[in-house]
Amino acid sequence: MEGKVIVMTSGKGGVGKTTVTASLGAALALQGKRVAIVDMDIGLRNLDVVMGLENRIVFNVVDIIQGRCKLKQAAIKDRRIDNLFLIPASQSDDKDVIKPENMVWLTNKLRKEFDFTLLDCPAGIEHGFKNSIAAADEAVVICTPDVSSVRDADRVIGLLYARSITPKLVVNRIVPKMVESGDMLSHEDIIDVLSIDLVGLVEMDDQVVVSSNTGTPLVSNKESKAGMAFQRIAMRLDGHPDLPVENPMAQKGFWKKIGKKLSRKNKDDK
Amino acid sequence: MNSNDDLPVRLKGVGDSLWVTIDPAQPIERLKEALIKPFERLKHLAVNAKVIIDTGKSTASDELITELGQFLKSRFEVGRVSKPPEKKKPAYKERVRNQDMGNAWHHYRSEALVIAGRVRSGQKIVAKKHLIIMGDLNPGAEVIAGGDILVMGTLSGKAQAGQPDNEEAIVMALQFRPTQVQIGGIVAAGLASGAGDNPEFAHIDGQTIVVDNYLTNNPFKQLTWPEVR
Repeated sequence: MEGKVIVMTSGKGGVGKTTVTASLGAALALQGKRVAIVDMDIGLRNLDVVMGLENRIVFNVVDIIQGRCKLKQAAIKDRRIDNLFLIPASQSDDKDVIKPENMVWLTNKLRKEFDFTLLDCPAGIEHGFKNSIAAADEAVVICTPDVSSVRDADRVIGLLYARSITPKLVVNRIVPKMVESGDMLSHEDIIDVLSIDLVGLVEMDDQVVVSSNTGTPLVSNKESKAGMAFQRIAMRLDGHPDLPVENPMAQKGFWKKIGKKLSRKNKDDK
Repeated sequence: MNSNDDLPVRLKGVGDSLWVTIDPAQPIERLKEALIKPFERLKHLAVNAKVIIDTGKSTASDELITELGQFLKSRFEVGRVSKPPEKKKPAYKERVRNQDMGNAWHHYRSEALVIAGRVRSGQKIVAKKHLIIMGDLNPGAEVIAGGDILVMGTLSGKAQAGQPDNEEAIVMALQFRPTQVQIGGIVAAGLASGAGDNPEFAHIDGQTIVVDNYLTNNPFKQLTWPEVR
């Protein structure tokens, strides 16, 4: 059976595409799948840093496409997680060296080798984005609860639909307290505008910064709420689409909860 | 024309009056002669009757009609003698036809563009005349219409109605939260509409764009007839 190629995109930069890609790749690999992660941000690579593999890069994606090396030579195996491979981006080449047809060729090869290929799409909707979506079977759109991020995600969703790809949504960096106080868009507001299937809600988590900087996989940290959320997203992408999406809630005191329950009961009595 | 020669005068009853069709080309003596026979047959019915003298397509000289009128009045004691009433103006007829409920839109082919679905950021829809969106218009999306724009959903993007110069056009949405509205050549930016949950519409009132509740201030309620817009 051929594997799936999933493009991770957002339109806007800085919403956590790279982190989400690295974490989902690790989570899928931990579930026993063979996973390749391809950094599509030619000229501005950083997925290798997030995964802690920057000192092992010899070949990159451009080398494969231009025939300077074989796929297996360029795919770097993760140190900690079996079955997880990174195909890094080229740091020195210009982004125009890859064309959409090159990507179709590359992903056809990857489908045979891996169960999942995750493409870490660069920000924007230009060359790198077009290359990434040319070869993808599925798409995950990452969005933060900001008006600007929602706007860009909306644009990207339109472009994906135009390519007959039905995207799924991950809402990243939710701060439950701010959502509750009305200072941040809730995921319901976002879905109301974007109207696509939700596959996960990820809470803002300090652990993300720590693990990105140290290059350790977030999903292996049981303390991290974001890490656990990524594990559940990975399960939803991997044949468990009905796993309920957990809504991150602000931690409430015991007495507050009791009080709320009582007041609800009183309302019912009326 | 032979039949006309034989019968220079014809008479029939129309409503409460006698309609006399004459051939004005005939000499007046001959016409008078021809009138005697039918009016004698009418006997007392001719007394005080209203008579309309119709000269057909040819424009009748008023003299001829007055002379024949005098003749009929003196001899048969008819009441009033007049020319046929003038025909109604075609323009008026046209308006009546347009207002006729049964016929106004029978043969009307719609020029409205009806779109179903969500219009997303970066997408742009242009309609020659009216535009109806059965869905939402997201922020960053743009719609342009020559006539009205009706959004059966939430309008959060940019709507330009009545392009380029129709200032009668409206922009209506069930939930009215546009980033910008333009009607004709007038632009209103960032309408911070407070209500939001009622259907509202934007229209031009004295060179500015005004937003009103569509249910309470429906501008089309005042029209006497349903008409094609």
